[in-house]
Order: sequence, then structure tokens, then C-alpha cells
Amino acid sequence: MKHDYKAQGFKCGLEIHQQLSGEKLFCGCPALIKKGTPDFVFERKLRASAGETGKVDLAALHEHGKKKSFEYQGYFDTCCLVEMDEEPPHPVNREALEAALVMAKLLNMKIVDGIQFMRKTVIDGSNVSGFQRTALIGYDGFVEVNGRKIRVDSLCLEEEAAQVVKRGKDKDSYNISRLGIPLLEIATAPDIMSPDECREVAGHIGMLLRSTGRVMRGIGSIRQDVNISIKGGARTEIKGFQDYKNIPKVVDYEIERQLKLIKDKKKVEESVRKAEPNHTTSYLRPMPGADRMYPETDVEVIIPGRVELDVPETLEEKKSKLVKKHGLSEDLARLALRFEEKNDYSFEKDFKKYSSKSLSPTTMADIVLIKAPGVAKKESEDFDVLKVKDALFSELSNGKIALSAVNDVLKEFAVKGKVDFKKYELLIDSETEKIVKKIISENKGAPRGLVMGKVMQELKGRADGKKVNELVSKHLK
Amino acid sequence: MKGKGFEQGKKYSLTLKDNSVMEGVFVSETSKHVFLKLKSGYNAGFSKEKIRERKEVGSVKRQEAKLSPAKSVGGKPKIVILHTGGTIASKVDYATGAVTPRFSPEEIIGMYPELSGIARIESRLVSNIPSDDMNFHHYNLLGREISKAVKEKGLKGIILTHGTDTLHYTSAALSFALEGLPIPVVLVGSQRSSDRPSSDAALNLLSAAYFIANTKAKGVFVCMHDNVNDSACALLKGVNARKMHSTRRDAFESVNTKPFAFVDFNREKIDYKEETRSSSESFSFKPFNEKVSVGIIRSRPGLTPEELKPYEEFDGLILEGTGLGHFPIGSIDKSTEKNKEILGFIKKFASSKAACMTTQTIHGRVNLNVYSPGRILKEAGVLGHNLDMTTETAYVKLAWLLSNYDKEKARKLYHENLRGEISTRSDV
Repeated sequence: MKHDYKAQGFKCGLEIHQQLSGEKLFCGCPALIKKGTPDFVFERKLRASAGETGKVDLAALHEHGKKKSFEYQGYFDTCCLVEMDEEPPHPVNREALEAALVMAKLLNMKIVDGIQFMRKTVIDGSNVSGFQRTALIGYDGFVEVNGRKIRVDSLCLEEEAAQVVKRGKDKDSYNISRLGIPLLEIATAPDIMSPDECREVAGHIGMLLRSTGRVMRGIGSIRQDVNISIKGGARTEIKGFQDYKNIPKVVDYEIERQLKLIKDKKKVEESVRKAEPNHTTSYLRPMPGADRMYPETDVEVIIPGRVELDVPETLEEKKSKLVKKHGLSEDLARLALRFEEKNDYSFEKDFKKYSSKSLSPTTMADIVLIKAPGVAKKESEDFDVLKVKDALFSELSNGKIALSAVNDVLKEFAVKGKVDFKKYELLIDSETEKIVKKIISENKGAPRGLVMGKVMQELKGRADGKKVNELVSKHLK
Repeated sequence: MKGKGFEQGKKYSLTLKDNSVMEGVFVSETSKHVFLKLKSGYNAGFSKEKIRERKEVGSVKRQEAKLSPAKSVGGKPKIVILHTGGTIASKVDYATGAVTPRFSPEEIIGMYPELSGIARIESRLVSNIPSDDMNFHHYNLLGREISKAVKEKGLKGIILTHGTDTLHYTSAALSFALEGLPIPVVLVGSQRSSDRPSSDAALNLLSAAYFIANTKAKGVFVCMHDNVNDSACALLKGVNARKMHSTRRDAFESVNTKPFAFVDFNREKIDYKEETRSSSESFSFKPFNEKVSVGIIRSRPGLTPEELKPYEEFDGLILEGTGLGHFPIGSIDKSTEKNKEILGFIKKFASSKAACMTTQTIHGRVNLNVYSPGRILKEAGVLGHNLDMTTETAYVKLAWLLSNYDKEKARKLYHENLRGEISTRSDV
């Protein structure tokens, strides 16, 4: 802890934006961000318009005065007439809506009874239509982090904006492949008491988001905006963290920056600032004003009570189950969760199906998470353990093959793409004994280690190691 | 929850059964839900069943948008804007939750301050008519309004704002009804409503005004986006325009002929593609007879004679044929015996009234000489051979001819190029 945050009147709230995978929110385009030479380009202008209360947003008017034009770059396979604002939105993507509702449940929120998408005026060009479609889904929620309750004020489902490619004096260019990707916006109350707690809350909400199984991965797919203020300073929103783990360092820098201004008797302006890679902050723009929304009448009001929800276990719950119920180590459980997220696979299901006296959950996890990647590295990068695991687990579970054969089975599959399990079937003890005797007679006088090695090589895992050891001891005198 | 209903413009505080308190401005309600605009700006619905307590906690006043007001600048040509509602004049309607025509003409001018740099603008609402509800009565209303304005001193031209769905019917109707029109009348619509920042209304309107202020052309035109960019608008002759897409801003095309001109408002340029027709006709308004009835029947596989019967009493009929202009009139087996009745109906109608062939391919010319069914129809007196009018223009033209001429003259004039609706050349 660098500062006495309480004494400084430190207040902090988080706003998290998370992209969802699948299709875009209001059309059938895939949620895929493309780069490189665009397939088509078009140019537009935007004008300020009055909201429903008749007020025109000040920030919007400011842009209006600039008479800027915008160039939009699109790709045939990820952009359609909807992104071009040449077609009204299609009905809302049900999967994204369900993900939003599930997330609201995970955040202990109340869900509005009528979801109304709004048009949030944004005329900096980042939305081709001049507005971002957004709807309030949940309110009045909370998360518990280290025994403290942090209120979560709102969860909104909205469209991702287009990405800036180039800014110019008269013209800005945008890539519209990102435009329309479903985005969850989660805002906490200013209940966070320290920069470390802010990082922990961000981590916890990130874990809950991943628990929905519907999130996009990779750089930029989740973004944390941190709102802070201190006594005598001004509310500041910090955006653009490369990694949420850097939040404490950057927030501490911002507190010091504001303290210095206060000490020098200078006014601290409310502003949006950017988190720099060196953990400092730099000025981005003034705080945006309110009053920027009017209803998106092209999208029907949704009554969420009619949507059936399947609220998943959180990743934390899953992990503790893997450790406590199935006996996995913490490390293996962590690896297992990461593997499940990437591969649409459930260890739990296989544990139920294949666990037996001869096959434990830890062994199964070890095969998938440790042994298989080892084989893949040596033999073939295309090796996919999920294609062979059912057959392998079934043989192991029935006691038809021994654990010692696993490496050879994986290798054979990696090389040939198929496995002849017959080769690895366990020998009856008399067969094993025959082989032991044969090797000993062929290697008279050889030390025990060498004999043991040769026997194992010949057996190719078709006998239990303990039994072999016993037999070698018996005959090697 | 009991008590009287919610009131527009009032702010309410709702205590729900789960003890949460929601405060916001009333927006709308259904039988089960009430929608509030919350402080955050979001609208959200709350189940009426869940409301335990309701308090009125204030009200909001509607504020007018502060955009530069329209100013009349001396020395500039005068343009009159006539409004009919439509998407160029749209606003959100809370009663239905839909976008409906609502802006007052004054509001439109306030929204497009650039107009005052081009011309002296006068603006009035003719009537708020969604374009799909238009009929001959409204064409006459507009025709009279334009005729009146034409007499105004120093008038350079007229802009008519119009919903896009039937805009090309109106542009054709006015082209015929306003004979010898001495000024340009430009119809303007928008495919993205004018309440949104990305609306195409601005460029369409400004390009129309720029065209009128700088052209010698006369007649009825349509001015809409030429492509998906906010750069150039196409000026289409009223008789050649057709809405070819349900949503795109470049939905309007000139069918079977090039656009009349392109207007680049940003670069202040007009690029003409056609010579201006000089007309020696004196101006006269020849209205539609609102009682004239013309039908459009579309050919298709499996068409039955019963479908034609309802048109028996009509004054005219547009036959929208397949390909070069064909209908199922051949009886080749038992299943097609009834086609004789279709042929019988068309023969009778064509000889006693006026039946005109167009093609549902939209593009291309009708030719009744190529195949024998076409020749049979032509011999039966079906009109339209070798013409390249759209079905919509053909419909409007026939109705207008039957309104103003006797049957024989109307049939003769149908084949004459009156307003540029027929081309003798088929542009590549």
C-alpha cells in the first residue's frame, strides 16, 4: 500500500467492457476482427440530432461543427449492410442476450422487465449510424471480493464500435469489422477502497465473464476503465490498460499526479486519461456529458422473463470442485480450467463416465494436460488428444491396458492417426513370466537394471510394472 | 397497482416489491409494463405487478434543439420546399414506438442551415401523408400546390419531400400532370430517417437545392444518393426512377436509361448525362380523374382466370408479363385448358378498354413480336409493344391518359413519348 487511501478520500469504481463470441449483436456476421487491405471502402458524414427531450448533446454538437468526413473500411465476410447502416438491425442475437442475462445473474443483479435498446449518440465516426445501440439489462447487483461487497450498478448489452485506422484533419478512417460485435458493459458503484482491491474486483468480474463460456479471447477483448477521485482532486476515468494487473501501479501514479497539482494549488480537471505502458497516464479528452440517448425503435422491446436461463457454475466453483471432489492438485485444476475454456471440453463429464479402480480423475487429467502436450511437442503438432481420449479412457477404465502403455498409445496415435489397442492389451501373468525368463536367459550375468529395461521394452506396457519387478526378482538369482 | 395512468413529461419514483427504487421520466406503457427514461439515459421497462408504490417527483420540459435558425439571404434564387411527411421528416413516436412523419417544415429548415447559403428558402407542409397511403387525390393536391407556386415571383424551383416507398409513382404522376412545367420540381426522400446522425436526408436535400439553383433543366426529377457514400446524388427523371432496394440509400435507379445528372454538393459540381429537353408547350395542370381505375396484374406460372375477373369493371389494366411480355394463354394439355379463359379475358378487355403490357424483369423492353403468344396478344389489341416503361410509370401514365383523353386518343398517346418515359435507344 503506497498511500493512506482512506485519508485521501479515495473513491473508485470500475467499468468493464467484454466482447462476446459468436455472431454480431444485430446481424448474422461473425464476431471476427479483420485487418489488412479492406474489400470495400465508403465515405460518410454525420450530423447532430436532437434526443427525445429535445436536447442536443454538447459533445455531439462539437463534432458537428467540425464537418469531418469518415472513411469506413469493410470486409465482405465480416461486414454486411447492417454495419454499413444500409439496413435496419436484425432481431437481437439471442445467444448474446442470454449471455448478458446469465452474467446479470452471476452478478446478483435485478433484471429489468422490459429491455429497450437505445441509440446512444456518438458522432466521432466510430459508429457508422452515428449512434451505438445499447440496452440496460441488469441493475442493483453486487460481487463479493475478499469478504467485501462491491455494488454493481448496471450491466448493459451493446454494440462494439468500429476501430480507428487513421486520424486526419478532415477525415478519419475506421475498420468496421469490429463494429456490431456484442459487448457487455458492467459498471460498479464507487465502493472500491484501494487500487489493489480494484485489481481484485477486475479479476473477479473477468473470471465470472469467462464462466459464461461466451466471451471472446485475446488482446482488446476485455477492457477495464477505472474511475477514481480523491479529496481536492477531480473525477478521472483511466482507460486502455494492457493488463488489469497493472491497475494498482497506474492508479497510484494518477493519485500522485493529482496530489502534486493540489499541492501546487492548480485545478485538477475532470478528464478521461489513457493508461500508458510505463504505468503513467496521459490526457485523452474531457468527460463526456449525459443526455445522449433515444430509443432504437427498429428493435423490438424484449421481455426477458420469457427467456429461459441456464446459469453456469463459475470458474471458481468449478475449480474448487475439481480439487475437493475429484482430488486434483491446485495446479492441475487450474490447467484443466484453461484447457476446458479453449477446447469446449468438460473433465467433469469424463470423470463421471470413466472413473474406476484402475483409472482416477487425476490420471485422466494428467494424460490430457501433461502427457498429451509432451507427445504433441515431440511427434506432431496436429496431435489432438480429444480424438483418442474416449477410446483410451475406456480401455484404461476396464483394466484392459496398463497405465504404462499410455505413452506408447499416444505416440502411435500422433504418428498414425489411429491406434491398435490389441497390441497394448495386458498379458496374463504366465505370459509375462515367460518373457521375463526368456530375457534373463538371453542376458546371462547382466545387471538387474539392464534386464529390467529389456523386459519393459519387450512388453511395451502390456504388464503392470509392479508385477514385472516381482517376476524379475523371482527369476534373477 | 391502482391509481390513474402515467402522464407524459412527468417524473416518477417507483418502489418495487423487491424494495428497489427506480426513478425516471415516463416514456410509455403497455398493459403489463411501464417504461421510464432513467437518469442514466436508458429506457427500461418495469412490470406493473411489481410496483408497490408510485410517486410523482417532478416533470421535464421539452427543450427545442438549438441549431442555427434558417435565414433568408437576399440575391439568392428562391426555392419552395413542399412537405408531405415521409422519412425526410421523421421523429420517434412514443404512442406506437415507431418512426413516423412529424417534423414541422420549420424544424426541417432549422436542421439544414446550409440551405440558406444556396437559396432563399420558403417551406410549407402540404399535408402529412405517408407515401403508402397516397392516391390520385393526393397527386392532384400536390399538382395544384405546385401550379400555385409556379406563379410566385422569382421562383427558381420546387423541392417536394416525400416518403420513399411510392416516391417514383408520385414523380411519374407529377411528370404527366404538370404539362410544360417551366421550372425544375425535385422530389427528395431519405432511406435513413432524419432523426439520426447518419441520415441521407441532408445530402439529398442539399443536392436538390444546389441543382435547382444552378440548372436550366425543367421538369420533374428525383434526387437521391447515387451510391453508399455521402458524396454524389443522382438526378433521375421522374418517369424513369424506381425504388430498387428496400433499405439502401442508393435504392433509386434510373431504369432503362442513364440518370439525368449527378450532383456533387461538396465539390459544387453538376455532371449532366442528358441534353435538357426544350419544350414549347405552355404550362397547364392536367389533373387525374380520381374515379379512373387501373389495375396491375402480374403473370406467374399457375395464374387462373378467376384472378383476372375482379378487373372486369376497371377502365384500364397493366399486364405485367414475364420476359418480353408474356402471359399463360396457351392450352397445351388438359391442365392448361383454362388458359383459354385468360386469353379470352385479355382479348375482350384489350378491345373494349385499354390493356398494356410491361415486363416484370424491370430492366429491358417489351417485345410482342418474338414469340407467338406475344403476337397473339398484340393482335388482340394489347398495348406496350416495343416500349421500355417501368410498370409503375405505365400504370400512372395509363391512368392519367384515361383521365384526360377519350379511349382512342389515350390508346394512341400511350405509345408516344410525352415526358421522356420512352426511349428509342436501349443504353448499354
